[in-house]
Amino acid sequence: MSRVTVDGTAVEVAPGATILEAAEAAGHWVPTVCFDQRQAPFGACRVCMVAVAGSPKPLPACTTPCRDGMEIETEEATARRVSRAVVELVLSELPEPPAPHTELARVAARLGVTGSRWTGAVHAREDDLRHPYLALRHELCISCGRCVRACDEVQGAFALTATGRGFDANIAAGLDAGFEDSTCVSCGACADTCPTDAISEISLVAQLERS
Amino acid sequence: MSRNLVELIRRHHAVDAPTALDVLKAAMEDHGELTDADRRRAAEVSGLPEAAVYGVSTFYDDLLAPRGRRHVRVCTGTACFVAAGERPVEELEAGLGLAPGERSADGSVSLAETVCLGFCHSSPAVRVGDQVDAGAGVIERVLAGESRAAAEPEWQSLLAEPVLTRPSEWRGLRRALAELGPERLLSEVEAAEVRGRGGAGFPAGTKWSFVARAAGPEKFVVANGDEGDPGSYIDKYLMERSPEKLLEGMALAGLAVGASHGFVLCRSEYPASKPALERAAAQAREEGLLGTAILGSDLDFDVTIIEGAGSYVVGEETALLACVEGLRGTVSARPPFPAERGVYGMPTVVNNVETLSNIPFVAERGADAYRAVSPDTETAGSKLVCFNERFARPSVYEVPFGMTVRELCEDVAGGLRDGARIKAVQIGGPLGGILPASLLDTRFDFDPLAAVGCMVGHGSILAFDETADMRDVARHLLRFGADESCGKCFPCRIGLRRAYEEFAADGPVRRERFEELLEALELGSLCAHGGGIPAPLRSLLTHFPDELGLA
Repeated sequence: MSRVTVDGTAVEVAPGATILEAAEAAGHWVPTVCFDQRQAPFGACRVCMVAVAGSPKPLPACTTPCRDGMEIETEEATARRVSRAVVELVLSELPEPPAPHTELARVAARLGVTGSRWTGAVHAREDDLRHPYLALRHELCISCGRCVRACDEVQGAFALTATGRGFDANIAAGLDAGFEDSTCVSCGACADTCPTDAISEISLVAQLERS
Repeated sequence: MSRNLVELIRRHHAVDAPTALDVLKAAMEDHGELTDADRRRAAEVSGLPEAAVYGVSTFYDDLLAPRGRRHVRVCTGTACFVAAGERPVEELEAGLGLAPGERSADGSVSLAETVCLGFCHSSPAVRVGDQVDAGAGVIERVLAGESRAAAEPEWQSLLAEPVLTRPSEWRGLRRALAELGPERLLSEVEAAEVRGRGGAGFPAGTKWSFVARAAGPEKFVVANGDEGDPGSYIDKYLMERSPEKLLEGMALAGLAVGASHGFVLCRSEYPASKPALERAAAQAREEGLLGTAILGSDLDFDVTIIEGAGSYVVGEETALLACVEGLRGTVSARPPFPAERGVYGMPTVVNNVETLSNIPFVAERGADAYRAVSPDTETAGSKLVCFNERFARPSVYEVPFGMTVRELCEDVAGGLRDGARIKAVQIGGPLGGILPASLLDTRFDFDPLAAVGCMVGHGSILAFDETADMRDVARHLLRFGADESCGKCFPCRIGLRRAYEEFAADGPVRRERFEELLEALELGSLCAHGGGIPAPLRSLLTHFPDELGLA
């Protein structure tokens, strides 16, 4: 076991536990976007930055293992500035603000990021509505990898992939011919984990409401 | 990347199946573009899911631009940019009637951009098929269909007893097998304090000791030959002029850590590297220096030579391993480090080509001799440096650590051509800081360079003369940064695009906001790409603020 403190609260964590797990055990919130506890930590969003005594730089909570005696600060100014800057960048890549119920919108609100000062390229609108239950809106994808990992690690269907690189990174099902022409089993794990509604379930009720 | 995926490909590797990337590269060579049939076949042969293959096929430059019968690749690396600006791209676009990424309707010719062909000594450079032409008149020759192979200057050593520019006679491996054995070899490498030559400067012996101690049914050695840093052609020279020294270094690593297989990942931008390494490996096998029971000992060690497919970030070690496995070359969070979980999830030594090329000297002559190579500094061993076309005598030189940058620029490379004056030099690649002329007396060594915001990096010394516009330089570096971001971590994926947009627009660069962005990149990025591109920008903000159009 390792003993660490999170914002002054002492907690004991199992060997190999991450800073994020320690913070949760201590009841302290760390913002995350690419993290889903059902999946292996990915370390892509860099929103979970925290300060650790003795470390010259903030550290990502989701992929950094605890060491005995670690003193963790979840709201230290520099770490929080990086988290906010990254969320502001994410908001700038979307052609519209994320819907209020989404995880991204909730994290942004809790961090006090209300919009983005950055203008510039946004993702082009490209909505794939061919599947009866799953809608894929590429313009809302923030490349967090949660859907790809849900499909791979949780469902084992391997129907999704990351595509492209840099700012143009996105996702595709199968050979990019839509969910139906892939190994997708319509389990909905991708929609369930998506923090932006880039993949969402098409419910009959919602369709009726829309029509 | 998920362990499930790695497990899938590990099983296919065990039966010696080609990777998805191998199959896709071969399809491009064969018919110049990828079809879904190619992707399905790549999935079938490699064992990767179709979606994952699709992901690979959209990641690498070499798989994206359609190829005509004559495939023209124009270098947009920093040395070529300094020599000729955007002119090579513009003139080829106009002359061929094609934009980069396009192929003529009749399939006769295609144009693509490529970042650094390693002909920085003779910029601008253009590759036609597998031949690289460079220097004055290159565009005219390419357009006339009369391109020719450019010459490469000989490398030279300033040392009486060179470590890196001497031929290999495999004496280090012979001594290690006959006298040292794995444990003493590892102690020699640790005592020699061989620091990594690929950028990070991490001690190779420490890395090896982690792998030697790690448990695993199999271990691997990977040579990082993905020298993507524009302006650097050092590993190119090592792989093409002295490939046997690299192979010897890898076999020594294998002996020290208990690995029996190695991979060299070289760049597709260097078409001569893979054939040179394969010839050297074949000869070594014939002479009993690679393969089973090497020189009658119980050491088994062999190598596979792999060629990348056009991605700068694949030079980062976790992305490199993903590329070796034929996957998308994206970065993974560490831990786990490759020493613990590397190729196919097994403990893996990953060292740069130059780092490994130092090992035969250490094994043959011992740690003390190695540490005495650079007498004026504590840093052990020598360094290869290379210069761009602005210099009077651009080439690769083996130098001791501790000379001043001015001595390197003026005495070794002869100063700039045609009496031009140095405005600044960028050292060690695009993630290295920019040293203004006023600081040329800084010593070329790890700590003194770090103290002025620079680094040894790969060892390239790239001069900007007094005609260089530093806002153009910033825009060039940020375009490179944004284009090459692997897209995994958010600060780099979005932040470098925003930074580039800020400099590409005609308006002023809003300094306060820009510096906040640099901080998010430096502190937030997953790897040294997003974390390092701010270094030259910080240098420019410090030394040339008046040229950047700041507000």
